[in-house]
Amino acid sequence: MPKQILSLTVNDEPKDVLVQPYLTLLDALRDELGLTGPKEGCGTGDCGACTVHLDGKPVASCLVLALQARGRTVRTIEGLGESHTLHPLQDAFVRLGVPQCGFCIPGVLMAAAAVLAEHPAPTEEQIRYGIAGNLCRCTGYTKMIAAIQEVAGEMKGAAR
Amino acid sequence: MSVMKTTRDVKGVGLSIPRPDGADKVTGKVQYVADITPRGLLHAKLLRSPHAHARIVKIDASKARALPGVRAVLTAADIPELKRKAPTRAHAVLAIDRVVFAGQPVAAVAADEVAIAEEALDLIEVQYEVLSAAVDPLQSMKPGAPPVADAGTEADTSEALAHSAVAMAKGETPTKAVNVSQTSHVKRGDVAKGFAESDVVIEHTYRVPMVHQGYIEPHAVLAEWDRAGNLTLWASTQGSFNTRSEVADVLGIEENRIKVIPVECGGGFGGKIRALCEPITAILARTTARPVRYVMTRREELEAGMPAPQVIIRLKTGAKRDGTLMALEAETVLETGAFSGTVLAVSAVFLGSLYKWPAFDIKGSEVLTHKPSVAAYRAPVAPQSIFAIDSQMESLARALRLDPAEFRARHLSHPGDPMANNQPWASMGAPEVLERARAHPAWTGREAWKKGARPGTKRGVGLSLGGWLGGLQPTGATVKLNPDGTLSVLTGQVDIAGTNIALAQIAASAYGVDIDKVKITTGDTDVAPVTGLSAGSKTIYTVGVAVMQAAQAARKQTLEIAAGELEASVDDLELVDGKVVVRGVPDKGVTLQQIGKKGNLYMSKVEPVLGAAHPAFSQQAPAFAAQIARLDVDPDTGEVTLCDFITVQDVGKAINPLAVEGQMQGGAVQSLGIALTEALLYDDQGRLTNPSLLDYRKLTAADLPNLETVIVEVPAPAGPFGARGVGEPPIIPAPAAIANAIEDATGCRLTELPLTPERIALAIARTRPT
Repeated sequence: MPKQILSLTVNDEPKDVLVQPYLTLLDALRDELGLTGPKEGCGTGDCGACTVHLDGKPVASCLVLALQARGRTVRTIEGLGESHTLHPLQDAFVRLGVPQCGFCIPGVLMAAAAVLAEHPAPTEEQIRYGIAGNLCRCTGYTKMIAAIQEVAGEMKGAAR
Repeated sequence: MSVMKTTRDVKGVGLSIPRPDGADKVTGKVQYVADITPRGLLHAKLLRSPHAHARIVKIDASKARALPGVRAVLTAADIPELKRKAPTRAHAVLAIDRVVFAGQPVAAVAADEVAIAEEALDLIEVQYEVLSAAVDPLQSMKPGAPPVADAGTEADTSEALAHSAVAMAKGETPTKAVNVSQTSHVKRGDVAKGFAESDVVIEHTYRVPMVHQGYIEPHAVLAEWDRAGNLTLWASTQGSFNTRSEVADVLGIEENRIKVIPVECGGGFGGKIRALCEPITAILARTTARPVRYVMTRREELEAGMPAPQVIIRLKTGAKRDGTLMALEAETVLETGAFSGTVLAVSAVFLGSLYKWPAFDIKGSEVLTHKPSVAAYRAPVAPQSIFAIDSQMESLARALRLDPAEFRARHLSHPGDPMANNQPWASMGAPEVLERARAHPAWTGREAWKKGARPGTKRGVGLSLGGWLGGLQPTGATVKLNPDGTLSVLTGQVDIAGTNIALAQIAASAYGVDIDKVKITTGDTDVAPVTGLSAGSKTIYTVGVAVMQAAQAARKQTLEIAAGELEASVDDLELVDGKVVVRGVPDKGVTLQQIGKKGNLYMSKVEPVLGAAHPAFSQQAPAFAAQIARLDVDPDTGEVTLCDFITVQDVGKAINPLAVEGQMQGGAVQSLGIALTEALLYDDQGRLTNPSLLDYRKLTAADLPNLETVIVEVPAPAGPFGARGVGEPPIIPAPAAIANAIEDATGCRLTELPLTPERIALAIARTRPT
């Protein structure tokens, strides 16, 4: 199959890459753009490790064809914070000791950022359902929820 | 070894310090095997058998070999070093003549792209003669069952040795049934007399299905050879030295020709101890003279990983009306899949040792079936065994109308009491853990809480206690003083959960500097001292001792150098704020930087400070956890809503409480998964019917409440600063705690896991008048 040109914006930068029509967005990000933060844990959209933002909404990038992202905006874990500053969620995850093996963490953080974008003052239930599509086998989720709640509280304080 | 104290308080042991690689983990910078792409990389794929048991009549790979972009297609015929009687799963690189489980690899491909390798698999033609399969372990034990192993294959007990070092008499009678690969038998006293004198005798059969460890990163390995015949493996492994030994044995090459680089491991939980796909990937790399990477798919993980065994335990117990325990009889069947390798003895120890039975008779069998062979899963066989014994204790207490927690406390073994294998229980905190759990408001306030049930739902509270004997393994570490006065710690320990920060804290406290002066590195097998597995809850307990002793040795060398410089006795020196001073004379001193620098100066006579330790000690440190579950049950649908879940655990000493809590919470959820939702389901042909994470149901954030942790510290005499193992105890009690809570709510005793809504609703329906 002939490759096709994919033009899109990734982490605020315009990109042009040649991809096979059958390539997933996850594989394009990882193999063509060198962004290995998004992980493949299942390839069937069940684990959430590949979560990225497509036009600001969280998607399982293993279920999106790369060419479906043509002309659109993608944000990965590499673009969540600034180059030398962690995003408040990343900072809270580190301080509260969330990451263990760490494999699910990039996907969880992208899902968590989407929760906060949708619900600036989320309830615990909104947070829990917001990351319910992201499986973690190490942490039991408790410290994740606490970290997300802490950042939500700070955002609320700052908005006042 | 005694619990050591430092000369003064430094920032080290006991503090909640976030792991230093946290920022790399939250930014996606950390690299796992699948993230590493050397130039010229080829991608591997394996063709797997669709049948659980079949003879391979013919393989024709010619079309696959002709596909452009394919660099190698291998079958067993192309690999002369393969043994027909494969002693372990790692040795069964590709099937020879016969497949023994659905998902067993029969051919391997290396190609320029993953998609090409997948296309090549479709072009390989395999002709099978399907044979009848032994799928149910109880049927597989019977004479005449289809044989699984090739005749003459030995039982594999290395897993038991690695995990728990349980000394145990093997079964004395030679086994007749063809698929029984190991037996065990322990007994004490007169069981028949004990039952005859019992007022209450209860018998149940408990069943726990095969479950998967569920790490989110599938198995992955990258292999590359140099021209001199040396192999480098980038592996997702829990033990780089074990991986090196197994791969060397399978390939028949010397261990020092293999370098295993322990790349960041995306979870293991026992499933990434034994070699699995490393040998075939190395062989493909050798054949093609190119780097080859193999990453398993999730479907392959579920169909052909190394799950936990199915466990079936028939348990009969008797007691007198006043609550005196009389006798216990057990028959345990561990389904090991197509290759031997369970920790059979551990089950007997827990069934017979946790409570004080005057008479017991415990028989165990490991049974082969035509399913993927099993491996360890975090406290292997303990959750299943405790589910049985603790459910049974609850049933006895209820039948005798005794408080179930008090009943356990009355009969619980204490340090010094004999275990089922007649060894005495070592120092352990089971009594303290049970006491703290019984005093928890969730337990003391349970009757009042249950009254708050919403109309139409039933509420129950359950408690369970379980533990782990604690693994042991010789291990090494070095601590060196750098020219600027900082410390570098080196081990080969794979850090999955955050153990490296705790090891660095141990080094800081043992040497006498603050943690910010200590950096720890996990070295590859070429540079690191020999280090054990990250398994068996023994990283901090054993590697922690190695690091502590290495730091103490470095401290001693440092003080001796300072004594020479200061013309003082070592006994008069102390280390304060990075400076060795004569006690009481704070301005007379030499800094660590000065000492470090002298050890690195041209023509200097001062030896560089290098502390090394490589302990191999024999004292285990059993560790216990109790869990309390408060839940609602909808009696019409059987749906369980978990309201509160508390883990009380003896950790000896919490070196890093933040990391300890994370272990307790994560273990609790795996335990709850075994209790409530997880099972690998097979059809009558031995094929997995739920090979995806949609159908193999793990608990999500939305299924759970916040998980409370209560840390208990009963120091372990041989542990570093009193620490004992933390990882495994919290995965053990939940199945019994949940079953006990469900019985408390509904009056129904469930004995088969997982406790699905369907099973609960059916059990409740059976109690209703028709």
